Amino acid sequence: MKRFLKYLLAYALLCVGAFIVLYPLIWMIFEAFKEEKYALSIAILPNHFTLESLKDFYTFSNFSKIVNEFNFGKYFLNSFIVALTSSIMTVLICTMGGYAFAKKNFVGKNFLFNTFLATVMIPGMMFMVPQFAIINKLGWINTYKAMIIPHLANVFGLFLMRQYIHQIPDALFESANIDGASEYQIFKKIVIPLTMPVVATLFLLTFLGQWSNFLWQLIVNTPDSPYLTIPVGLALFKGQHSTQWTLLMAASCFSVLPIAFLFILAQRFFIEGMTQGAVKG
Amino acid sequence: MKRKENLVSYLFLAPFLLVYIVFLAYPVIYSFFLSFHKVSIYTDMFDVFRELKFVGFSNYIQIITKDYNFWWSLVLTFFYAIMTIPAGIFLSLFLAIMLNNKLKGKTFFRAAYFLPNVLDMFVIGTIWVFIYAPTFGIIVRVLNFFGITYFNSTGLLGNPYTALASIGFAMVLKGCGFGMILFLVALQNIPESVYEAAKIDGANWWQELKHITIPLLKPVFLFLIVTGIMAGLNAFTEIYAMTNSSGGPNIVIAGKTMGATSISGFYLWKQFDFGRYGYAASISYVMLAIALTLTYINFKIIKPYGD
Repeated sequence: MKRFLKYLLAYALLCVGAFIVLYPLIWMIFEAFKEEKYALSIAILPNHFTLESLKDFYTFSNFSKIVNEFNFGKYFLNSFIVALTSSIMTVLICTMGGYAFAKKNFVGKNFLFNTFLATVMIPGMMFMVPQFAIINKLGWINTYKAMIIPHLANVFGLFLMRQYIHQIPDALFESANIDGASEYQIFKKIVIPLTMPVVATLFLLTFLGQWSNFLWQLIVNTPDSPYLTIPVGLALFKGQHSTQWTLLMAASCFSVLPIAFLFILAQRFFIEGMTQGAVKG
Repeated sequence: MKRKENLVSYLFLAPFLLVYIVFLAYPVIYSFFLSFHKVSIYTDMFDVFRELKFVGFSNYIQIITKDYNFWWSLVLTFFYAIMTIPAGIFLSLFLAIMLNNKLKGKTFFRAAYFLPNVLDMFVIGTIWVFIYAPTFGIIVRVLNFFGITYFNSTGLLGNPYTALASIGFAMVLKGCGFGMILFLVALQNIPESVYEAAKIDGANWWQELKHITIPLLKPVFLFLIVTGIMAGLNAFTEIYAMTNSSGGPNIVIAGKTMGATSISGFYLWKQFDFGRYGYAASISYVMLAIALTLTYINFKIIKPYGD
């Protein structure tokens, strides 16, 4: 009996906790479908539950409005392009560099390794001003490349790949060498296929990071830039229509729902990838 | 042979090295250079750094002797870290211990608590603005139910005494699932036999927690503290999303009016936004010095891997 009560208590606590943690998400979804006149009500269902009142309460028009009048389709596409390109390029660059660090000896290896490591200790905010200066001098304001290229040298990603490639047996590389495989072939036929699990992790981490990168994308775009991403577009929209909560939440759905949906499909992969990535790196 | 290996290695490393040098190494040096300069009045958004004026140490002197807003932002950052790091660790550990039992639906809870972690910070912040809003926000309504009407006109984010704590609360809820997983993994790595031995020696649950569990979780604590400090120093998006570009409601301390959520990362951005690039660069360097000192102290105190 005592044991049963303990379980009951644990479940009750966990359920309440989960509700609190997920509340913003739940609320966002309901609000995004509400008619504007009910925007400030905390109810998620109409008072009298009939088909008519449901039709009066809920609508899809917020979504069409946010796409047709406020350009969020375009923002979504921009976010997707930036996040996808960044992830593919980061993974490629870090796998190449990680391979060199894991399986090669070269002049300056230790020096470079320690220099890279030191960079991790620097708070990211510190790079804001000088990176902006470089982008500005290069004339890259309002471009995709300004949002993508500065983040490609992912030191954490390099270490992650190095650790993983390090575990691949040397014998594999030696026999490939004896068979006369070129470096390019070794990279393509051995390194890439064998590192797939961690490639996927790094890809995911980079994608999520860039999908919700706000500060950098805010400062390298002017408000009239054609390349605004969702968070920046949302900030702009919020500045002009701060009281239109139903539209604001419909716009938020564009950012949150695809990721949440992916998470539900592959949650094990997300959780293990993100936490192991953090610990190993 | 040796030369060939060098060449091949550097070819593989070249793309990474190029981006690293241009966008990470050079900025550290350029930022140092910039911190001794002032950017003249500019008009062209696309060529801001055309005219730089050398000003010597005056930026640093200004920060250290005159800029009370900067020192205030450090105080706020300290408060923010003191609120969010222990609360986050406590909540994560609590959830991990709860989920470490054989419960049905464990996977569901794991996923539910972790989900907010993967979502966009700005969006989550925006949703919290509604939750904390005056009159119609759910928190104010709940408080009204208990007879507290103090927040009705300002909401929680409009009140200078609760604004930063409210942001911290939202961020702890967003982040706790991550720490929870780290603790769970560490807990599952503790062999059952250690607890059995302790039971035989007559240890109660508190002694088990204090003498076995917590010491074995040390690396996780250190990790969460270090990343927490970094997150505190880098905090910007959550502040911008929840209290706009103003830096929060005003608070008056010793006759000076200051923003109640203007923590150091946000203050740095504010200087940047005003076009004081040289000054922002020198603030960056002061913050870097603080970050490195804190990390060093952490490693000295906690000693994650023994002596």
